[in-house]
Amino acid sequence: MKLKDWILERFPIDFQKFVEINERIFIKEPIPLHMKKWFYCMGATPLILFGFQLVTGILLTFYFVPSPEMAYESVRHITEDVRFGFWIRGIHRWGSNLMIIALLLHMTRVFFTRAYQKPREINWMIGVALFMLTLTFAFTGYSLTYNQLSYWATTVGTNMIREVPLVGEWLFLFLRGGEDVSANTLTRFYTIHIGFLPPILILLIALHILILRIQGVSEPEGYPKGHYSFYPHHFYKIIIATLFLLTLLTTLSVIYPPGLGEPANPAVTPPHIKPEWYFFPVYRFLKLVPLRVGIFSVALFLVGMTFWPFIEPWIAREKRRRIVLGYVVGSLVLISTLALTFWETVEM
Amino acid sequence: MDTVKAQQWLIGIFSVLLIVSLLIVAGVEMKKSRSFKPEIDVNETTAKCINCHEKKGVAVKLIDEWKESQHAVQGIGCLECHEAKEGDFDAFRCPESEFLIGKHPNPNDCAKCHEDQVKEFANSKHAVAQVMMALKGPDRNVFEPTLSTKHGCEQCHNIGNYWPDGAIGECDACHSKHRFSIAQARRPETCGECHIGPDHPHIEIYLESKHGNLYSTFASEWDWNYDPGQPVPFNAPTCATCHMSATSTGQKSTHNVSERLSWESQAPFSVRTQKYWGGLTWQEKQKNMLAVCYQCHSKSFADRYILTADLVNLQYNEIWKATIDWMKRLRKRGVIATTEFAFAGQNITAWPKEGYDEEVEQEAYRNWHHEGRRFRHGAMMMGADYTQWHGIWELQENLVKIIEYGAEHGVPEARAWRNSKDPNKFVKLYPLYDIPGSTWGPSALAFRGNMPMDRLKNYWEVVYQNVKTAYEKGLLTDEQWQLYTKLYENREKEIGRVYELPPIHEEYLQNLRIDLKELYPQQKLQLRKFE
Amino acid sequence: MAEKESRQSRRDFLQVFTRGAPLGLALFGAAAVFVRNVLAYLFPERKVKKYHRYLVAREGEIPLGQAKRLIIGGKPVFVVHLEDGYKVFSGICTHLGCIVRWEKEKERFYCPCHKGVFNKRGEVVSGPPPEPLVPFRVERESGLVFMYVEEKIKGPWS
Repeated sequence: MKLKDWILERFPIDFQKFVEINERIFIKEPIPLHMKKWFYCMGATPLILFGFQLVTGILLTFYFVPSPEMAYESVRHITEDVRFGFWIRGIHRWGSNLMIIALLLHMTRVFFTRAYQKPREINWMIGVALFMLTLTFAFTGYSLTYNQLSYWATTVGTNMIREVPLVGEWLFLFLRGGEDVSANTLTRFYTIHIGFLPPILILLIALHILILRIQGVSEPEGYPKGHYSFYPHHFYKIIIATLFLLTLLTTLSVIYPPGLGEPANPAVTPPHIKPEWYFFPVYRFLKLVPLRVGIFSVALFLVGMTFWPFIEPWIAREKRRRIVLGYVVGSLVLISTLALTFWETVEM
Repeated sequence: MDTVKAQQWLIGIFSVLLIVSLLIVAGVEMKKSRSFKPEIDVNETTAKCINCHEKKGVAVKLIDEWKESQHAVQGIGCLECHEAKEGDFDAFRCPESEFLIGKHPNPNDCAKCHEDQVKEFANSKHAVAQVMMALKGPDRNVFEPTLSTKHGCEQCHNIGNYWPDGAIGECDACHSKHRFSIAQARRPETCGECHIGPDHPHIEIYLESKHGNLYSTFASEWDWNYDPGQPVPFNAPTCATCHMSATSTGQKSTHNVSERLSWESQAPFSVRTQKYWGGLTWQEKQKNMLAVCYQCHSKSFADRYILTADLVNLQYNEIWKATIDWMKRLRKRGVIATTEFAFAGQNITAWPKEGYDEEVEQEAYRNWHHEGRRFRHGAMMMGADYTQWHGIWELQENLVKIIEYGAEHGVPEARAWRNSKDPNKFVKLYPLYDIPGSTWGPSALAFRGNMPMDRLKNYWEVVYQNVKTAYEKGLLTDEQWQLYTKLYENREKEIGRVYELPPIHEEYLQNLRIDLKELYPQQKLQLRKFE
Repeated sequence: MAEKESRQSRRDFLQVFTRGAPLGLALFGAAAVFVRNVLAYLFPERKVKKYHRYLVAREGEIPLGQAKRLIIGGKPVFVVHLEDGYKVFSGICTHLGCIVRWEKEKERFYCPCHKGVFNKRGEVVSGPPPEPLVPFRVERESGLVFMYVEEKIKGPWS
C-alpha cells in the first residue's frame, strides 16, 4: 500500500485540493517580473539569517549557563573547548550583525521604492515592529556573555529605559528584576531572549509574509508588467542566498572569531565603553541633548517611523509633493544616522 | 544570468564553497585563555595532618605549597617524607596524635624514591661543601668570629651537610620545600644564591655574558617546566643547562655537577680534575662540556674558546707562582712577620694563602681566592669584565703592591723591579702563555699596537714551547695541541697584521687625535677658587 | 518566459538530481558536512585519558593476604598484597554499583546489596556479579607500590 493511501485512510484530506493549494501558494506563487533583479529580491535575507540565529541559538543553549558566575566561563568554554563551538557562536554573533544590516538594507529599499503606501501601511508597521524586536534580540543577546560590555550596556540601557515617561520606572524594575543588575537580570534577559521574543518574532514574521502574499509584492513603476512562478526561479535564488550567507558567516567566524573581552567587573567601568554599532546613532544623539529631551525625541522618531505611511499623505496631498517629501525625509534620516554612526565610531 | 541553468550552476558553486569553508572550520583551533589544574587526592594520613595543622594554625602556607607540588598529584603526602623511627635525631611526636614524625627530612628520606639523584649528588663537589668549610676553611675558623659565620658561610656550605644519621647534603637547597619546583631549581638565580660574590661571581659573570643577556631577554617566554631528562628547549643556556641538563648531543641529565668540570679552577692552583669526582677522566669531562656547547656553537668556535680558557687557567698558575715567590722573597728579607698560625703543634693555616694579618698577605690571598678565581671563571664563562677589570688587572695590581711593599722595605729585587724602566717588566714577572689571534675571528687591527710580542725576542717561539711543555705534562688534550699547532703555524694570518686596514681608518685616527687635542684646551678655564 | 519555466514540474525537479547529479551531490554534501559539524558540536569530545602514578602503599605496610582501603577521586579502591605481588581493585561491585567490603578474616570482598562475593584476586566466587573487580595498573619501585590513576582536571566542565 502506498504511503499516501495509508495516510488518506486515516485523515480526511482532499488530496487533489491539497496539491492544488500547495501549487497555488507555494510553487506557482506569482512574482512580479522586477524581482528577477537581485536588487529587489533579497527581502528573504533577514528571514534566512533569523533561521540561522534560531538554529545556532538553540545549539548554544546546550552549553550556556545563565548565572553571573558561569555565564562568561560557559561562553569561554563554548568558544575555546567545545568542538566547533567557536563556529556556532561565531555564526550566531556575525549572524546578528548581518541580520541587522540586512534589515536596514531592506527597510531602505522598501522606503525608497515607496512600498509602504496604501494598501500596505499595516505591513510597514509590522516591519517596524520586527525591526524593534530584532534590536531587542541583539541587546538582550550580547548582555548574556557577561563581559564588561554586557554588564555596562545592561546598566546603561536599563537606566535609559527608566527615563521613559509613565512606564519607565516599572520597565526598569521588570527588566532588572530589582534595583541592581544581578543574577535576576541575567536570567530575565535570557528568558526574554530565548523564550519570549522568538515566538513573537515568528508570529509577526508569519503575519508579515502572509500579508505580503495576500496583497502581492508591490511593483515599482517603470518595469514591464507580468509575473513568473516562485518555483524554480525565486526558490533557487533563496537557496543561493542561503548557501552564500552560510559560507560568509562561516568564513567570518574563522577569520574574525568571536572574542570574549574582560569578565564583567561591577566595580570598574572601562574608560571607552560603547554599545554595539547599531546603537551608535542613538548613543551619540543622547550625548548631544539633555537626557529627557533625548528620550522624548527618540520616542517621537519611533512613532513617526511607525506611522509614516499615514503621516506622509497627511502632510502632502499632491502626489509629486508626497514623493519628494518621502525622498527628502528618507535621505535626511539616512544621512543623519550614518553621520551619527560615523562620528561615534571615530571618537574615542 | 537569469536562467534556471545559471542558477543551478550558482547553487553548485556555492555548495562547494560551503563544503570547503565547513571543512576548514574543522581544522581551526581556538587559543586557550585559561587552564585548569589536576585534582589532588589526599590520602588518609595526610588528611589528618592537614586538618590538625589548619586547626592549630601551624605552618599552614606549607600545605598550599605542597598542594602545588608534583608530590601532591602522585599521592606523596606528609608521612611519606616525614615518617620517623624511635631514636631518629629529629623524631618528634606530634601533640595529640599518634604520629612520630621527623622534623627535618634529609637525602636519606628523598632517596626512598630519588635514589639516582641522591647517588649522583653524593659523588659531586656539592657534597663536600661542608668539608671544605669545616676542615679547610681558616677564613671561618681563624679569621672571623664564629657567630658571624652562622648566617654566612654555613648557609651556603650546608648544601654538603653531614647529618647525624649519615645522610649528606640538602636536596631542598635548589628546589625548596614544600613545592619542590623543578622550574625553581632550573633558574640561574637559585644557583646564584650561593654562587655569587667577590670570590666566585658566577651569577654576575653569567648575567654579564651573552648567555645571560639572552636569558634576561627571553626567559619569560621559556617553558621552565619542560619534561625532566629532555634536552633543554631554551635558546640560551642557563647554569643548569651547561652543568647538569640533558643535551641534544647525547648528554644525559645529572645531579652530579662535577661531571663536566675538567679544571679545579677554584683551587690555589688550577689542576685537572681527578677521576673520582664524576667518575670520569678530565678529558671525558671536557668532552661532555663541549657536547653542551656543540648544541649551539660550531666545533671550531667551541674548541678554540675552551683552549683559550684552558690557557688562561695555566697562565693564572704562573701568576700565582709569581705571587708566592715574591711573598717568599719578602719573608726571607724579614719584611713579612707571620707565616703559618699553629695550634697544639698543628698548622691551621697555610702560608702565603692565609697570612691574614698584613696587607701584603691579604693581597696574596686575594690573588688566589678572589681576583684569581674571577680571572679564571670570567675567562671560562664569557664574563669579560670579570676577566679583565675584576680579574687580571687587579691580579697585576696586587703583584705591584706586594713588590712595592718589598721595595719600600729594603728588598733589593723589589727595588730593582720598581725602578726598572723596561716596558716589558709587567709581563716578565712570570712565564707567558699565548695563542695567536682571537676566538671571535680575525682582526686587521687588534694586534697591531706595540705589544709584548713585538718587544720580546722570540716571543712566539718561547710561548709555543711553554704551551708544549704543558701539553707534554698532560694538561691539554691531543686535539687541543693539534688545534694550537695549527693556529701557531698560521699565526701571521691569525694575528691579522698582514691584512690591509680599511680606508676609513686614517679618518678615525685623525678625528681621535682631534678629540684629544680639543679636550685639553676645553678644560683651560679661568675659574675662581676660594682661598 | 514565465509559462515555460513554470512547466518544470516535480518530475523535472527530481530529474535535476539524476541528470544534474553533481548539483544534487553538491547540495547533499554541503548538508552532510553541516550536519556532521553540528553533531560534533553536540557530542562532547572523548578526551584521551591521561594517567599518572599515585602512591598507595609501602612494602611491608600491608601483611600478606590483606588489603588496604583508599579513596581515589571520591571512590574506594583496595590494594591487596598477594603472593605474586600487589593488585589494586576498584571497590565498586560489578553487579549494580554498590561498594564492596573487605572481609579480613575471610580474605575476600563481600557486596552487601545482593550478596556478591569476590576472592582476594578480585575474581567472582559467588553471587550475581558478572565480572571480576576492575583492576588498576600497578607499579612497584624502590619499596613503594604505585597505582595508575586517571588524571582529572579541577573545573566545572569535567
